[in-house]
Amino acid sequence: MVNIKGNEEPRIGVYVCHCGHNIAATVDVEAVSKYAAALPKVVVSREYKYMCSDPGQELIQKDIKEFNLNRIIVASCSPLLHEHTFRTATEAGGLNPFFFHMVNIREHNSWVHTNRAAATEKAKALVHAAVRRVPAHRALETKRVPIHPDVLVVGGGIAGIHAALTMANAGKKVYLVEREPSIGGHMAKFDKTFPTLDCAACILTPKMSQVGNHPNITLWTYSEVAKVDGYVGNYTIQVKRKARYINEDLCTGCQECISHCVFKEPKFPDEFNEKLGKRRPVYIPFAQATPQVVLIDPEVCLNFKRGAKNPDGSPVVGDKCKKTCVEACGDKQAIDFKQTDKVETIQVGTVIVATGFKTFDAKRVPYFGYGKYPNVYTSLEVERLVNASGPTGGEVILRDGKTPKTIAIAHCIGSRDENTNRHCSRVCCMYSLKLAHLLKEHTDAEIYNFYIDMRTPGKAFEEFYQSVATEGVHFVRGKIADVYPEAGNTGKLIVQAEDTLLGRVRKLPVDMVVLSVGLEPQADAQDVRRMFNMSCGSEGFFLERHPKLAPVSTFTDGVFIAGACQAPKDIPDTVAQAGAAAAEAMALIDKGHVEQEPNTAYIIEEECSGCKSCVPLCPYTAISFDEAKKKAVINEALCKGCGTCVASCPSGSIKQNLFEDEEIFAEIEGVLAQV
Amino acid sequence: MSTTVTFGQEIANLLQEAGGTPVSACMQCGTCSGTCPVGDFMDVRPQRLIHMIDAGLKDKVMATRAFWYCASCYQCTVRCPRGIDIAELMYGLKRYTIWKNQYPADLIGPAFSETFIKTIMRAGRSYEPVLATSYFFTLGLKEMLSEAQNATMLMLKGRLPVLPARIKRLENFKRMIKRIIPIGD
Repeated sequence: MVNIKGNEEPRIGVYVCHCGHNIAATVDVEAVSKYAAALPKVVVSREYKYMCSDPGQELIQKDIKEFNLNRIIVASCSPLLHEHTFRTATEAGGLNPFFFHMVNIREHNSWVHTNRAAATEKAKALVHAAVRRVPAHRALETKRVPIHPDVLVVGGGIAGIHAALTMANAGKKVYLVEREPSIGGHMAKFDKTFPTLDCAACILTPKMSQVGNHPNITLWTYSEVAKVDGYVGNYTIQVKRKARYINEDLCTGCQECISHCVFKEPKFPDEFNEKLGKRRPVYIPFAQATPQVVLIDPEVCLNFKRGAKNPDGSPVVGDKCKKTCVEACGDKQAIDFKQTDKVETIQVGTVIVATGFKTFDAKRVPYFGYGKYPNVYTSLEVERLVNASGPTGGEVILRDGKTPKTIAIAHCIGSRDENTNRHCSRVCCMYSLKLAHLLKEHTDAEIYNFYIDMRTPGKAFEEFYQSVATEGVHFVRGKIADVYPEAGNTGKLIVQAEDTLLGRVRKLPVDMVVLSVGLEPQADAQDVRRMFNMSCGSEGFFLERHPKLAPVSTFTDGVFIAGACQAPKDIPDTVAQAGAAAAEAMALIDKGHVEQEPNTAYIIEEECSGCKSCVPLCPYTAISFDEAKKKAVINEALCKGCGTCVASCPSGSIKQNLFEDEEIFAEIEGVLAQV
Repeated sequence: MSTTVTFGQEIANLLQEAGGTPVSACMQCGTCSGTCPVGDFMDVRPQRLIHMIDAGLKDKVMATRAFWYCASCYQCTVRCPRGIDIAELMYGLKRYTIWKNQYPADLIGPAFSETFIKTIMRAGRSYEPVLATSYFFTLGLKEMLSEAQNATMLMLKGRLPVLPARIKRLENFKRMIKRIIPIGD
């Protein structure tokens, strides 16, 4: 490598890119190139159609040798896209890659302006700024940080299960953390899956039990991530394991305790069955729950004092119950009323966030009558109603005990609506068709789908739509505008909607209304976002690094996303994304190290006054204080180069690579040179 | 750039002026029509009316009476998933047809609105006996008698003023109204 020190006379090469028409249509690329050629220290200035192409990169390499260049400027697109490309080309030409500087004249210029003359002037100013800046550049080195090979998967729905299994099968050690008592997520609640009508449990439970038995997976259910520290490759994670009052290692899943509970009949609303069924205080969420470990609900168990809390927030053990469960458990002694929440600390290198979604709360739109009229159901409730393991054993029996003869399915509840969620929830059309089919099969009722647009773009989806239509399910094009009881106490509900194709208002008496509720981010998605330092889109779903080219990466290195926490999606897409996230995580792990941008801050020790003002300001906790020397110390591995400390230092003794004062001031002078 | 403004754009501008979402955002879900309490009386309900505007069927839109039946309950506006202020659109269309002087001759709505504004401008308050004359003579003999009977009863009970009321500082009020409605002098 030549010219590594960079203390010789700067010889600058400027390359202005057309980017096809992207830049050239709005910026006079030739004029910019000519302008640059006349600037001091510029040895060569060229314009080229696609600088990122191989010939474009070779041009840089050739010029470095031919003209003995030691500074390279490319005016083209965003550094996010091609900074790496051109740094590599600069390095291949024999220079330190940090002697390269990129000027954005596309996103910051041609794409946002329409006046060609003004845009060209702006491009000139930006290039001038870079020409002034690069002489101050120094040779820098990219640092390598080793990666911890273990992975944390947050969320045990189908996304988390698939990602965890993929990585565990590849020999990675995986921690799978799930908030609920069992893994399985929403998919475990479904009866059949569209469009193939596979039984959800039949395809999910084998994967669940694989997770439960896999030697490489540590499964922590009824647990939540409490704290995240560190950086890519070296995360320290605290996981809160909530007390289930059962020793997981001792419980065999025999469920004797449940049948011996002092409550002879199940009495409390069962969350897994969407509160349509009942459970006892000691329970297991569903037959195939993984792990097969019961848990006790301290809110209703008689052995706890109802409503009383210890100072730490844990429930108070009253010991007033006969504890028939403990007798039934016998020698296993798995029941432990004194159990408390535990915090486990683990080290991982990468994280896959697969926290899923929640369904829209239909009570937010009162005119659909959910919560007011008992025969208005949400789609998730109907999933349980038609499920053989559901509260009615798969018989569709309404809350008033009747079997419905006419059913209305209302699409787009809480989706495609400025008043609730603007996005299309993507799965509702298809699950509504599936529920229409299942309800028809179970009850032979007349079924009416009230839709705005039918959206069936997936593989074999349109065929499924057609087959459901030929089964005799009716389709009315119009959103349900009102639900109210039929006059004369008939027990029926009237659904009122404009049939936009007939041009008539339909007032249809039905026995049951199914609300196809949309998908929204989890209620605590913002907390999770903050914890992992991710971003969110306008709807609150986690934001991917790039919508097309980095769909499972986030803006935090080493944190990946999969499934419906990123956006509403169906099972096939979720599984595909989970596989992708696993592959991305493994690509990072198997590389063994991460390269860190050297744009870190550093302290000039002689000048540091030890005032400590930078220490609490650092958002990445990268600054500590050396009490012996009375100086601040920056951990380079933790520093993200945000510059907060640099700006805050009262003595100006913190500097930042790639953002030195000389560089910034020179840049400003360049921008203003023509003013 | 073209200087001809299509009918759809004209109506969109009317709504934009009122700070609303343009009707072109409509996805034809039918919530407005399905939810309208007077929809049964309309020859064309809002969702179809919006589509007619979008299709540029100006003559047909001008010929409907639908928007004159709007009861301004604003249920459609509240429920519209695309945030279109449909009730405001109905007002916009009423104003538009009055400006263009194109509305079915037998409608009492335009005359009623005009009399109302005139009364307000004259005294600052509505005066029902005058307002009633805007439609009174369109009624049949039987309705006329029953209306007159009602009015007499209301007057006797003091629910209907015999003499028109007049507000203080009427000039200020007129200036205010002129800022809102371009009615000239």
